[in-house]
Amino acid sequence: MSEQVIPAWEDVARRYGRQIYNYAYRLTGNRDDASDLVQEVLLRVRKGLASYTPGSFEGWLWRITRNAFLDDIRRRKRRPTTALPDVERSTVLTAPSPDEVLAQIRLSDDVQGALLKLPVEFRECVVMCDVVGLTYEEIAAAVDIPVGTVRSRIHRGRKMLRGLLTWPV
Amino acid sequence: MAGVSSCWDREELLSGYLDGELTSGELAEVVAHLDGCTDCIAVFRRIQEARSLVRQLPDLDLPSALAAALHLGDLLSAYLDGELSPQDVEHVGDHLALCAPCRSELRELDAARTAVRALPRLEPSLEPPPLGASTARRHWARRAVAAAAVAAAIALVVNTGGPAAFVDRDTLANRHTARTSVEQGFAVIPAFATPAETP
Repeated sequence: MSEQVIPAWEDVARRYGRQIYNYAYRLTGNRDDASDLVQEVLLRVRKGLASYTPGSFEGWLWRITRNAFLDDIRRRKRRPTTALPDVERSTVLTAPSPDEVLAQIRLSDDVQGALLKLPVEFRECVVMCDVVGLTYEEIAAAVDIPVGTVRSRIHRGRKMLRGLLTWPV
Repeated sequence: MAGVSSCWDREELLSGYLDGELTSGELAEVVAHLDGCTDCIAVFRRIQEARSLVRQLPDLDLPSALAAALHLGDLLSAYLDGELSPQDVEHVGDHLALCAPCRSELRELDAARTAVRALPRLEPSLEPPPLGASTARRHWARRAVAAAAVAAAIALVVNTGGPAAFVDRDTLANRHTARTSVEQGFAVIPAFATPAETP
C-alpha cells in the first residue's frame, strides 16, 4: 500500500483482515479470540484513520494490532475467564487412546502449542517475523523496541520453541 | 535449550543470518565462528528447524462470519462498470479468484445490470391522453409494469445463468458494449420475445 495515501477502511479490512486473523490466532491459539481481535483491530483502524498521517502504514497497522492484543491480555488477567485454547482443549483434556494419540500427533498443533508457551514478548516477535513476514525494522516499529532487541527476542523465542518440541524433526 | 548450548555470546546473530538481517561485518563474523564450532552448528540447526516449523504453519481462512464482513461489496458494481483504479481492479481480481460467494454475487450483479441495460428505449406517445383517465393512476400502472418487467428479466437472466465459470472483466465489458449498441430490448429474453403463432 502506498505510503503517501490514506487508505479507506474497507481496503484495510479486505487487504489485511486475513493476515491479522492469522497473527491473532497464532498468538491466542483460539479462533473466537482471534476473530474478536480482528474486529477490535478494525474498529481501532476505523477510528484511527481519521487522524492518521501518511507514513509507514504497515508500522501503524501492526502497532495497533499488537496493542489490541496486549490490551486483551491485560483485560483477561483482570477477569480470568479464558477458555483453554483450541489446541490445548484437544490435547490435554482427554485421556487419549493409542489411536487418538496417533490422530493427535499433528505437526501444526504441536508447533502452535509450543508457540503458546513462549513468553508473550518472544511469541509476538516470532509470529510477526515467521507468520506475518515483517522485517526486523518493521517489527521494531510495531513493538517500539530497538532492532537489536527484536533480533534477540526472535532468536530466544525460536530456541525456546525448539526446546519445547521433544520429537526429532 | 535441552541438551544443546552455545559457546558464543553473539549467538543471536544466527537468527539474523537465517532472516537475511545481518550487515556484511556480522555475516563474516557468523561464517568465521561456525567454521569449526560444532556446538554452534548444532544450535544453528535447531534454530533453523524452529524457524521452518513456524513458517510451515497453515495459512488459515477467515471464519465465514468474519469473512462475510470483508467481502468485496460495492467494489463489485464499480468493477463491472470499469470505475476502479488499476490497483483496485487487481485486488478484486485476486479476491474473486479465491472467493466463490463474491464470484456468485458478481454474476448476479452482472445479470441484473444486463437486464436493466436491455430495457427498451421508449418513445413518448404523440397521442393526447384520453380524457377522464387519472394521470396518477396511469403513472402508477406504468411503474408497476416496468418494475415487474425488470424483476422478471433479472430472474430470467440469473436463473438461466447456471454454474457459469468465472467471468473476466474484458468479457463483461465486451458483452455490455454489445448490448448497449445493439439495443435488442426485451426481445433477447425468451418470455418477452414476440409470441409465435399458436395453432
